[in-house]
Amino acid sequence: MNRRSFLQASTLASTAMMTPAFLRSMASAYTTASRSGKILIVLQLSGGNDGLNTVVPYADDIYYQKRPSLAIKANEVIRLNEKQALHPALAPLQNLYDQGELCIVNSVGYPNPDRSHFRSMDIWQTGSPASENWSSGWIGRYLDSACVGKPPYHALEVNDGLSLAMKGKISNGFAMSDAKRLRQAVDNTRLKNLQATGVSQSGNLGYLYKTLTETTDAAAYLYEQSRVHKATADYPNVAFGKDLKQIAELITADTATQIYYASLSGFDTHAGQKGRQQRLLGQYAQGVAALVSDLKANNLFDDVLIMTFSEFGRRLAQNGSGGTDHGTANNLFLMGGKLKKAGFYNDAPNLSRLQDADLIHQVDFRQCYASIIDDWLEGDSQAVLGQQFAGMGIF
Amino acid sequence: MNKLLHLYRRAGFGLSPSEWQDRRNWSLDQAIDDLFLRAQSRAPLPEGDHPEYTRGGMMAAARRKELQKMERQAMMSINHNWLSRMAAPGESSLLERMCFFWHGHFACEVKAGLLAIRQLNTLRAHGLGNFRDLVLAVARDPAMIRYLNNQQNRKFSPNENFARELMELFTIGRGHYTEMDVKEAARAFTGWSGNLAGEYVFRARQHDNGTKTFMGKTGNFNGEDIIDIILEQEETARFICRKVYRHFVNDTVDESHVNTLAAEFRSLDYDIAALMRSVFSSDWFYASENTGNKIKSPVELLAGTMRQLEVSNIATQGLIGLQFALGQVLFRPPNVAGWPGGRTWIDNSTLLLRLNLAAALFQAADFNFELAPELEQENKRQLKRLNAEINTTPLAALAQDAGQVDGKQGVASLVTLLLATPPPDFKTGPKPSAALVALRLMSLPEYQLC
Repeated sequence: MNRRSFLQASTLASTAMMTPAFLRSMASAYTTASRSGKILIVLQLSGGNDGLNTVVPYADDIYYQKRPSLAIKANEVIRLNEKQALHPALAPLQNLYDQGELCIVNSVGYPNPDRSHFRSMDIWQTGSPASENWSSGWIGRYLDSACVGKPPYHALEVNDGLSLAMKGKISNGFAMSDAKRLRQAVDNTRLKNLQATGVSQSGNLGYLYKTLTETTDAAAYLYEQSRVHKATADYPNVAFGKDLKQIAELITADTATQIYYASLSGFDTHAGQKGRQQRLLGQYAQGVAALVSDLKANNLFDDVLIMTFSEFGRRLAQNGSGGTDHGTANNLFLMGGKLKKAGFYNDAPNLSRLQDADLIHQVDFRQCYASIIDDWLEGDSQAVLGQQFAGMGIF
Repeated sequence: MNKLLHLYRRAGFGLSPSEWQDRRNWSLDQAIDDLFLRAQSRAPLPEGDHPEYTRGGMMAAARRKELQKMERQAMMSINHNWLSRMAAPGESSLLERMCFFWHGHFACEVKAGLLAIRQLNTLRAHGLGNFRDLVLAVARDPAMIRYLNNQQNRKFSPNENFARELMELFTIGRGHYTEMDVKEAARAFTGWSGNLAGEYVFRARQHDNGTKTFMGKTGNFNGEDIIDIILEQEETARFICRKVYRHFVNDTVDESHVNTLAAEFRSLDYDIAALMRSVFSSDWFYASENTGNKIKSPVELLAGTMRQLEVSNIATQGLIGLQFALGQVLFRPPNVAGWPGGRTWIDNSTLLLRLNLAAALFQAADFNFELAPELEQENKRQLKRLNAEINTTPLAALAQDAGQVDGKQGVASLVTLLLATPPPDFKTGPKPSAALVALRLMSLPEYQLC
């Protein structure tokens, strides 16, 4: 018996004494699991990242006319093709592009775009049409449809709270900002002394006890998993860097998690955009490059897909305070060791054809979700999204 | 299960230990009468001072920023005050509960203090009145007009947002109107607008005076006519009663009970107080399948906990931080459909926070001299800023009165007050204090139910 299975066995022994049978059987199924299949990492840039200064249309005069002081100069960008280039802070991603491990999808959005952060983020996280209010998330519904019987950390959000994207109609993902802190939070006399004997399985009380038992088991399991492997790459010393490092360590430890979710916020750059976006994109690129390098060092990058999105892009024209206001369509990044289509998925946004001064979307974000669900996770996108979307042929 | 306590858990936010001491021998009828009697003193909330607005384009950026900050602070204090009223024995708990119910029903995100107070006053004035008056007042509520874009609903460029939600979410529900009904209703509500002073304004020049055909009737309808036609439909009473049932009785709806309530609601011309009295007086309201089985919403949990621990001086920021972390912030519903409720409140992070909430309040109150081993390892960031004070003396008095806390009856008295469903196997150590027992009970999953 190796150290890990010993710890698993002892965790089980301690929970077994206080849990009724219907909870116990579930717990034992979880802790012996390890990963099977592909991994998806979703990275959310909150606040509405300015896509036009992320992937810069450096050959388009309109871009420079509309952004006299905010445009990134053509001699500063990292050129990817004759039309588009990366923001200089994204230099760590150039290598991925060159290796065919980065696919940039331009002009991603949805019909009747909503410019409220709150609402647009809900639309992205639920995968609903803009005209409908849904109360479950797309990853949650994927769990409902394809992952019945899997542990809650089958989809793991590295955060204090659980995003709507991770909440299904039946199943939820799992939220954990730090494995050690989570273990501490369940490790107190009050929770440890809980006796669930005699609790009925069907009612809400059974549901609460079941969630608690799952959480306690998950806390023990994820804490052990977090100690198996130490990531060695150079992560930025910010919360987002720590989050990605934790993801790298869990993946490398063969954790039974298929989907990871993490966020970087602060992209709502109405004023003083230049310095702030530079700093945030730098953290993003350095973090992602470190994550990829750790995954590659363990021959895992072929099994991983990283999707990066933001709830909307920003207006083409800069505003009066050195920033940009809420916009619509935006670019979306897909990274992985096994992309069938890399580089630019589609043409650069047309800056001369706008609607209400904003870019017009060419690719529906739900097309990206559908492709990921069908072709990468081997699920059923129609069950998750409620309708069929054209595939993208990327995976 | 104690019927009186069940009534107060559902019609209000539970009872404080002192309230329970005073009322434990009341009859159910007496308690119901008292709830409605106290709700009659529904004075409007004072509006207070609020900034004056000028046309957006004319405002300097610095001034706009300052105003936004003022509004944020106003919203925080309105939030804190409302939660405190829900927790305060001196307030009418039924009135606050009805406002909270309608706040979730007529879900509306509000960002300006004056508009929030006015909307609350609308709910206070009509929440136990006539449903027609309530819907009409909400249709003229400046915060709602802004939230659902009715100020952009003009004769030559109608905006259907309010008209659609009025039917889909506020009155009759999907499947009982057509897309054409939405378009025609939107025309009838053209010109129902608001001004910068936060007042309702009817802009006659933007109003469409043409003939409309709505739900089979034809005429030069205005918004008021539309509401009347909606209220003529039998389904409307059913839709509202179903919503009431889900909030006050059970997540799973018993359609036969709903049909009985709906028929009565219609025959009494949409009198909300009469409807609620029927619910609270019915036998099934106290049946075992309808007690101790609803998951408290975050606001119910916070208000109830604050009431039972007599929490005072809780920091506004900490209190609102808790609402965010638990997933329900007053005046910030996720969308116009409101909070979905039920099991959606629970995920691993919210459950841990809920189970640690009482401990955090004890800890914030520096109540750790005799509870040290119970309070180890609390490190949720948002809990550190609560600064709350608690008072466990009434809990101790309750246990004492029942015959010492270390005796069976003392513990049982605390269980009765604090838990709507009995704990499976609750053991206390030797010589427990009432505070310790209360903390243990409030840390149980059972405490999450009402």
